[in-house]
Amino acid sequence: MDYLGLFPVFYVPDVGSAWLMGLTGAIHIMASHTSVGAAMLFAFLAYKAYKEDRDDLYDYMKRYGMFLLIFSYVIGSITGPGIWYTATAASPRGISALIHNFVWVWATEWVFFIYEVVAVFALVYFIGKIDKKTHLKLTLTFAIASVGTLALIIGIISFMMWPGNDAFYNTGSASDAFFGINTFPHMFLRIGFMIMMSGVIGLIISSAMKRENVELSNELTRKMGYVGLLGGFIALFFFMWYISTLPANAEAVLGLTLDSIILNRIILAILFSLYFFLAILKPQWIGKYLAVIMMFVIGIVGVWPGEKLRESMRKPYVAGQYIYSNQIISRDVPGKGVKSEVEVVASKGLLGVDPWVPDRLRTITPENKLEVGKYLTERACSNCHSLEKGGSYRNMVMLIETKLPGTDKETIKNYMNVIGTGAIPYMPKIALPDEEYDAMAEWIAAQVNN
Amino acid sequence: MEGTILNVLRDPAGVPFYPVVFQGLYILTWALHAAFVLLAIGSFGLSLYGSMKQKHDANWKLLNPHLIQTGKLSISLLILLGIAPLLFTQVIYDAGWYVANTLSGAWVFIFIYALVTAYLMFYWYYYANKRNGGGGTFVGLISFLIVVFCGILMHNFAVISISTPAEWMEMYAPGGVIDTSGLNLKWDVVRLAFLVSLSIPVLGIFLQNYSDFVSTKSDYSADFVSFTRKLGTKFAVVGLLISAVLFVLWMMQVGLLMNIVSLATIVSVVILLLMAMFLKNSYITTLWLVVVALLISGIRELIRYNIMSGLGYDLYGYPVNLEIPTIAMFLSTFVILGFTGLAYILTMAWKVGKLENGATLDGTKSAAITKLGNITLGLFVIWMLIYFAWGMVILFKNTL
Repeated sequence: MDYLGLFPVFYVPDVGSAWLMGLTGAIHIMASHTSVGAAMLFAFLAYKAYKEDRDDLYDYMKRYGMFLLIFSYVIGSITGPGIWYTATAASPRGISALIHNFVWVWATEWVFFIYEVVAVFALVYFIGKIDKKTHLKLTLTFAIASVGTLALIIGIISFMMWPGNDAFYNTGSASDAFFGINTFPHMFLRIGFMIMMSGVIGLIISSAMKRENVELSNELTRKMGYVGLLGGFIALFFFMWYISTLPANAEAVLGLTLDSIILNRIILAILFSLYFFLAILKPQWIGKYLAVIMMFVIGIVGVWPGEKLRESMRKPYVAGQYIYSNQIISRDVPGKGVKSEVEVVASKGLLGVDPWVPDRLRTITPENKLEVGKYLTERACSNCHSLEKGGSYRNMVMLIETKLPGTDKETIKNYMNVIGTGAIPYMPKIALPDEEYDAMAEWIAAQVNN
Repeated sequence: MEGTILNVLRDPAGVPFYPVVFQGLYILTWALHAAFVLLAIGSFGLSLYGSMKQKHDANWKLLNPHLIQTGKLSISLLILLGIAPLLFTQVIYDAGWYVANTLSGAWVFIFIYALVTAYLMFYWYYYANKRNGGGGTFVGLISFLIVVFCGILMHNFAVISISTPAEWMEMYAPGGVIDTSGLNLKWDVVRLAFLVSLSIPVLGIFLQNYSDFVSTKSDYSADFVSFTRKLGTKFAVVGLLISAVLFVLWMMQVGLLMNIVSLATIVSVVILLLMAMFLKNSYITTLWLVVVALLISGIRELIRYNIMSGLGYDLYGYPVNLEIPTIAMFLSTFVILGFTGLAYILTMAWKVGKLENGATLDGTKSAAITKLGNITLGLFVIWMLIYFAWGMVILFKNTL
């Protein structure tokens, strides 16, 4: 048998495995972006404390640092590898492609990350124990190391969207893959957001200091307002550039939801501008509860939809526009000796190439047809869709009920044939043998009409 | 499913450097990771006992906050240092690792959030203990149990990844019925018991180091120094004896007792035992512990290699697509920047640790701190300049 290097399917009913990754990713972004933004902010504060010989700023840095140790370096440092783990379970070949292309980049990021974490512990615990100039130097190295972790991961996650030209496919070079056309806009977009997040978290800390030192609290609340505004402006500015570097399939997805995205971003921009202006003009009005609520607002209304959108825009691919979300390799990558698998799947079917199909299901019979249909649907569709009626996240049943002219088996099967021709840019162009379409359509129709 | 399917499951892009190099890096980084796993379990576990004693015993009152602090830092470091072996294993043993992660996908998810919960509870324990001078034991106990649970899950992933393809198939489709729930669990009790038992001697040798470190500070009494030294020696000796017995059992189970690496490990453990019992300078004992850790990491790798190659997995035949620029980046960053940077912070930490209560270190008067700081900062700036120059050259080459 000519098997493909497919792995077992892991699927969480009603949710879909990929969404576990999305959830972990959104939490990680809040924590990690805060840490990089705060590192830059710390460099600024340490410089100010040294230049103006101010001891009071260290108290703020210490409190911020303790918060950071828990928020960013507990939650962030676990959910970072956590994305990796959940991605491994949900999209093993996608993560494998990234690992095998970028292992040395990731290993370099690991060096930066170790320095960053050891440095943050040091600079927080050394406050009051070392002189200001030495503390400043340590903080500067911490800030660059922290930005370095972004500089190293950004090329990898930008490659997930696409490299932007054919160089990588021809050379197989990690450099060509890493420095794609959206790497730098993506990097500066995130730097803007990181600065803004450092302001959002900074407001929690400064507002909590009112009781001990109201003057310092107000001064820092104002400063965090400026920091937040600056970060927000940079993020918005580079978002425009970033959007212009996206591939056609991403634009197709973006086109479907563009109005709601723009509305969401406008509301967020107005809301946070007002919040930051309030911090600048009336710092005494920013209480710690409001500051905490605003942190959740940015997470739930800003980061979560943003990450969902970024994930959706990659469709139908999971990495580098050569691996589909359902783990099938979609094109040749001569530079790496990688061959497209679409043709062999079309001729032999998934049942013929999937090494994990039990013998009793390899041939479709009237007795096992629904069981095979279910498995094939899980294999081919569950990375992007929940499959059960009432399920969350791009629910297949709901999409069929709302988008197709009928819910009978033949209508569903016809639509699958259309997908197989590549007519829908955000769906994988994989044609399956008729009997496999038939089994899948029968199972899906049973779900819809259940 | 035939054994050669393992070769089919390899990534079609090949590996970006020679597999033996990844194997070496795996052994090295796993040993570092394991050292902090063991220290975390050991210091955390002992701190739970200490938190009950510290209200009535002056020595425990002094020691226990330091044990908790050690546990806190060790958990952070074990997570950090765990990233590298996780990376390298996926490069050369991707077949087994990805199968294990999909077969145990639900546990993977549970593992992440269990670890987050455990570490957050650990901070709760840390602050409760700090505030009440011995409180938070119950929270600490729950956190400790969750940490152990996470360790068992990680052990499960490792054991499934070296199972046979026939066993995988039975887990995935028991009785021919496919189960995509990702709820599979499997463990090897002897292997797990041996690895966990190592936390006792690691804690013991750490306590000896701690005793040596505080012995030069005037604010620690001779009684306390002696107490921590004796406690450390007791843990090291008893722990090494338990670990040695379990190691022999494990080697007998896998048929490697007479293997040269296994014998070398046994000899090195005996030397470590003697050093822990009689050597005054415990820092040298720690250096030898590193050798033992590397040997144990090597044994783990040997077991995996034997199992996988026995199943037809051709590790050294993994197609290589050499990737020179990024490995040059890694090696130069790791060796030059990494070691200089860590030397800078550790030098500072050592000097700060030696300060008497309330004193401040003037780093500008220390030539070592000033030089290391300047070099580290300079290296970071140069690194960033090279990064952007490299990126622009590639972009211009590919887009103009």
